[in-house]
Amino acid sequence: MMQDALIILWNSSDSLENSEYIYNDSGDSEIFKRITNIAKSHRKIKTFIEICGFQFRKSYATKHNKASGLYVQALSEGMTEVLQTYLKTLLEVESLILGNQNYTLAFIYSYVEPFKDLFDTLNKIIISIKERDLVGCQILSLIHQYILNGNKMIHEAIVRIFSYVNKVFINQLCTWLLYGELKDCYQEFFIFRNQRDESYDTLQSLPSNNDKSLVTTLQDATLDCGYNLNPNMIPYYMPLSLAQEILFIGKTVILFSLDPKKSKRSHTFTTRSILPLDKCGSDIRRFTIWEEKEAEFHNKLQKLKDPEVFEVVNLRGVIREIKECVTKHLWIVAVEEAQLLHELHLMKDFYLLGRGELFLELLRLTSHMLDKPTTRTSTRDMNHAFQLAARAVFLSNNADIEKFSFELPYVKPNVSINSTFDDSTTVADGWTTLILKYDFKWPLHLLFTPEVLARYNDMFRLLLSIKKTQHDLQSLWKTYKQSTSFSMCQLHNKLMFLMDNLQHYMQADVLETNFSRLVDAMGKTKDFEKLKKAHATFLADILSQSFLTDNTSGNADNSTDTTDSINNPVFCNIMELIKLCHSFCSMGDLVTDKESEDYYITGYSERFNKLVKQLMQLLVSLRDRPCGVHLARLLMRLDYNRWLSGEAQLTQSVTSMLRY
Amino acid sequence: MQNTKKKCVNEAILIKFVLVGFEFWKQLCIEHGISPEGILEEFASAGSDRKDVFFYQADDDHYIPRAVLLDLEPRVIHTIMNSPYAKLYNPENVYLSKHGGGAGNNWASGYAQGEKLNEEVFDIINREADGSDNLEGFVLCHSIAGGTGSGMGSYILEHLSDRFPKKLVQTYSVFPNLDEISDVVVQPYNSLLTLKRLTESADCVMVLDNTALNRIASDRLHIQNPSFAQINTLVSTIMSASTATLRYPSYMNNDLISLVAPLIPTPRLHFLMTGYTPLSADHELNTAPKIRKTTVLDVMQRLLQPKNMMVSLSPDRVNQHCYISILNIIQGEVDPSQVHKSLQRIRERKLASFIPWGPASIQVALSRRSPYVQSSHKVSGLLLANHTNISSLFDRCLQQFDKLRKREAFLEVFRKEPMFKESLEEFDESRSVVDDLVQEYRAAATPDYVHWNPESSHI
Repeated sequence: MMQDALIILWNSSDSLENSEYIYNDSGDSEIFKRITNIAKSHRKIKTFIEICGFQFRKSYATKHNKASGLYVQALSEGMTEVLQTYLKTLLEVESLILGNQNYTLAFIYSYVEPFKDLFDTLNKIIISIKERDLVGCQILSLIHQYILNGNKMIHEAIVRIFSYVNKVFINQLCTWLLYGELKDCYQEFFIFRNQRDESYDTLQSLPSNNDKSLVTTLQDATLDCGYNLNPNMIPYYMPLSLAQEILFIGKTVILFSLDPKKSKRSHTFTTRSILPLDKCGSDIRRFTIWEEKEAEFHNKLQKLKDPEVFEVVNLRGVIREIKECVTKHLWIVAVEEAQLLHELHLMKDFYLLGRGELFLELLRLTSHMLDKPTTRTSTRDMNHAFQLAARAVFLSNNADIEKFSFELPYVKPNVSINSTFDDSTTVADGWTTLILKYDFKWPLHLLFTPEVLARYNDMFRLLLSIKKTQHDLQSLWKTYKQSTSFSMCQLHNKLMFLMDNLQHYMQADVLETNFSRLVDAMGKTKDFEKLKKAHATFLADILSQSFLTDNTSGNADNSTDTTDSINNPVFCNIMELIKLCHSFCSMGDLVTDKESEDYYITGYSERFNKLVKQLMQLLVSLRDRPCGVHLARLLMRLDYNRWLSGEAQLTQSVTSMLRY
Repeated sequence: MQNTKKKCVNEAILIKFVLVGFEFWKQLCIEHGISPEGILEEFASAGSDRKDVFFYQADDDHYIPRAVLLDLEPRVIHTIMNSPYAKLYNPENVYLSKHGGGAGNNWASGYAQGEKLNEEVFDIINREADGSDNLEGFVLCHSIAGGTGSGMGSYILEHLSDRFPKKLVQTYSVFPNLDEISDVVVQPYNSLLTLKRLTESADCVMVLDNTALNRIASDRLHIQNPSFAQINTLVSTIMSASTATLRYPSYMNNDLISLVAPLIPTPRLHFLMTGYTPLSADHELNTAPKIRKTTVLDVMQRLLQPKNMMVSLSPDRVNQHCYISILNIIQGEVDPSQVHKSLQRIRERKLASFIPWGPASIQVALSRRSPYVQSSHKVSGLLLANHTNISSLFDRCLQQFDKLRKREAFLEVFRKEPMFKESLEEFDESRSVVDDLVQEYRAAATPDYVHWNPESSHI
């Protein structure tokens, strides 16, 4: 009987439920049953270990076996080790029994009984893994949950198991953080590589989510090289933010490895095509980013393998340190090597019309072309004109000018052949489709993502059309100066005044002010992430202050056509005013006699008054929104001598609002 | 009076001038890092400033001012030709009347000689204009008191607008010092006759008032007896600041028209005042440089004070005078967010009153400052303003003219010239033009200006 019990305990493979012994003592049979149960749970564990274990996998290596994986393997190894104590105990009991036949069943039981709870716990873990199909980091997470246990033995056993599984995790984490490599053939890590890059292209150009603020949208969508977080895999004890930081570090490391200067092959990074990792030899990726710190970080990470040290706080500490190092390096590369400040000044000079004289010259050369629908040769003509303009203002020798080029997307008008001269088809003219392209230095694509450049282009088109209108009005000045009609002069003045002040508002209050803030913020930080945020804030601010964003409804625009897609009421109003200026400028061609001139002037004047009045009334409805504050600033300039508000005969409520 | 004429391109100019022109070019050379020989200094080779606006490059790359210098007598031109800057100018553009006798401070003589030399002078101007790719206008620098600047200047002014009807004509006109007794006795006649041409033929007149310039030199700069050169330095400071947005890359006001058009809403009210702050004279810089706090608000407020104005206005108790328009050009290290705050402050405190018949505001253009010129001030500002009280200056001219005319004094010198041989109608005509101008400026200070027309004021 005693031997039976020992055999049962020892033997984990054969089925032993067959023999039903009759014990003279019912107590003995009860104990025997318990011993059998312990043996059963032990067997279950052993079976699991065998299935998942290294040896098994070696013989039945099937890649898509769910049970396989580094984590499960580590788990089984850990369990095997834990079971060693059990086997040792059995050996001890066996030798004792062989020495003395008088021991009772209870004696054996007293030895194995302590393992019951341990086996139960382990079986619970095994069952959860099987039932919930847990893999990889999920197993890590599960085991971590069992660490806290009142039973000292269980606690220690689980800790030992955890340390096995954790080793796998730390190793993966370590290669990811330090080399940007994902050694994860079973997809067990919480970061995965997205195979389908195309899906990201669409994702990037999608309009921003409603709940996201503009700043976040502009900040996001950078650094996308096909890696992403798998939220199911993130261990429960790791906050999402920490996981994102880990993702960021790895991505950045990969990014550095793609530095065209260091890579032998010349890649074009402006197209944002990130090569699959395996194509870049791993030798390129052993770079200088860590300098002498590599060993230090490696040691720190390796220390985390020790379950006593492994605490989320410690992990976070190390991650923070590494991140700081990475962002600093990124900062050095971006700010010092790629001369970010200079590039930002270029952005301001070109996208934000800082080189007024260049664009004035360009307008002279191209405004006739941009008025017409785009043709196939427009892009070439535009770029040619740009070169001419640059030469005229003595900028052509400047290397920076070559970084910029124009594109006028040619849309084939979908009309039949015989109606080629039909003007009624709404073909967008150059003003709304013009795109200024910029060839920036690596790795500034982190900052100037397609989304960001699209926004810059929105700004560019608005500023250019204001400049054009202003220029058109000014070129009429000499003509109207000789005019005898005071009302004509006065209307011309009003329109010119409006455009001038709009321009001054845009350039001084919006662009210069925000740009100096950006430069200040850049000077203060050495952290690339903060820098990116500062830039995103800058762009979001100038867009909202130029009324290019819509904060009345959540739907931000995406289309390149600013006039149609934006429904910010202030912006619409300004566009109407610009249109009015255009009609005024072309009036000269229509008007032949004094009578029709008067007719037009009266019409335009009324329209002007109406639009200005509307603009002031908008202030009341937008009072609580940030947009209202900016509108107030614009109106302060327009209504500086309180003439426009007086003329508009506003109601009391509006007038009181106009105290700005 | 000597007479230099200059011209500038792309977005610019032809100038004619009294010695100030010389100082102006000197200033421009310093600001752009160009040596007196026209060679770009080593340190300035990487500059992004726009030298091409007022200079062009010769085949050997040295810079030549787009300037035409004219004079009827050799003294001043000889001074220039003996200075280090002699090689700067294109010698073909320095025109000296062969007869060399000057105009004898007589407007009529200057005008007559202008007529005689018409072909030669316009040959130079045409050649210079053809050489510019993108001529936007002419800048004429002259004095209105003497004979050459006023007389010949008037002739050129009239014919410039005929020959180049689409080009802008801007003048920097130096008005005589009315506090002193002038050595030119017929100065009131000369001024009035020139004023008529300035009213009718120029697009924009920058009024530089010698009375105010002397006052500023003595009050603000503490120079007891300001020399000619010191006054001219003041003038060239203003000229260089007012062209700063043309000469440096900037957002706006990149061409002459964009500077002028917003300031001048009605055709005839095109006389602009200037103001500049902070002013410091050379001798002060050397001894005790007193560093004042210069912020945008400070500068903008100080610019609105009459004492910094380069035109002396007499207080007018009858009419409530006001600004028609203001443009501030602020140079230096400016915190752009201050601009809005300053505008708001000035508006709240009502530091400037504006016309009641149309929209008006203070426009502020931010511009760079030459990196090659040291300044102890962080921010400096120039004010260009169209103010109705400038009429008081013309009014004074009228009064002085009337005094002389009543006595029929010194008319013989004019009668000698063909223009006045027959009759003195030209005087009466000019007087009525200037009188109209004064009336119009007064009317512009009232809301009724909308209904104003020159005929009604006569009746």
